[in-house]
Amino acid sequence: MNAKDWKILLVDDEREFITTLAERLELRGIPARVCFDGESALEAIAAEEPHVVVLDVLMPGIKGLEVLERVKRTNPGVQVLLLTGHGSTRDGIEGMRLGAYDYMMKPLNIDTLIEKMESAIDYARKASALPGKSDGQ
Amino acid sequence: MRDALFMGRMTASATHELQNILATIRESSGLMEDLLGMSSEGFAHAERFKKGLSVLAEQVERGMILTEQLNFCAHAPEASPAGADVNEAVRALAGLARRSAARRKTTLVLAPGRTGLRTSLRAVEVMNAVDAALEAALDVLPMGTQLMLCVEEHGGLGVVRLDSPGFDALRQTPGWSELATLAKTLGIGVSAGPAGQGVVLALPRPAA
Repeated sequence: MNAKDWKILLVDDEREFITTLAERLELRGIPARVCFDGESALEAIAAEEPHVVVLDVLMPGIKGLEVLERVKRTNPGVQVLLLTGHGSTRDGIEGMRLGAYDYMMKPLNIDTLIEKMESAIDYARKASALPGKSDGQ
Repeated sequence: MRDALFMGRMTASATHELQNILATIRESSGLMEDLLGMSSEGFAHAERFKKGLSVLAEQVERGMILTEQLNFCAHAPEASPAGADVNEAVRALAGLARRSAARRKTTLVLAPGRTGLRTSLRAVEVMNAVDAALEAALDVLPMGTQLMLCVEEHGGLGVVRLDSPGFDALRQTPGWSELATLAKTLGIGVSAGPAGQGVVLALPRPAA
């Protein structure tokens, strides 16, 4: 699949960070939608079923791991990349147990992020081709 | 102890915010770099701009390392049933102690250490004892010296070794009594390094 056809959702309450990240992805031909909290992220995921959700673990309101759990129940084919800090590595590991595709530490390297998105989309594509294998890793 | 845990929680929260700030600076400078790469032709100050962005990137890296060490310190007073990872505690301390060593024109070097060693102590206790040894060493080392710190395993125990100055000189320093008292309280063995050089701190083994 061409990168321009990827459906990416970025979720973080750090507005300046996440909108700038979206802008940088778009400059690379990758369309990205942005949400600033867990509630609106869940609505966007239900409505649009993105290929990949990049999700901050520490947000006010619904926390990232709770969003992840709900997404994996309702839309198991959606791949989730978690964003953590050094102090929340344990959340990243817990997230993997809950079905996240991977986790990354902030600050991000955009090239690594794109590689992980591509790998997650490839994984989801292969998994959906196998009957009964459409959920996380 | 409660004070340390409270301050740890405050510091952990602040380091999380600092990571968000650094992440935002990195994305914003990254965006400027992207835009400059797309349309730098005809822009007289493009090279100076690129240099400025590269300085920003270096400073973000520096800030990331510092926030990682601070975050480790924030969690260091917490007790863990598995005990503390000796190498991680010493690495965080060495990162933060380099500045005070540099003020005395001493270069603090952390040798690639034995990983995976644990002790029954909390990380803050390991850091405190090693810092007391470092302070004693810095009191007597001549300026311009390199001080090597390493984590080793001796007979199944996690050991932290400072390679200089001479053990007898260390025992004469004002900081020695603090180290000795702390070591006694925490159950840390203190002995001379090989050939009477430096000091070896043998940390208590983790609970089975």
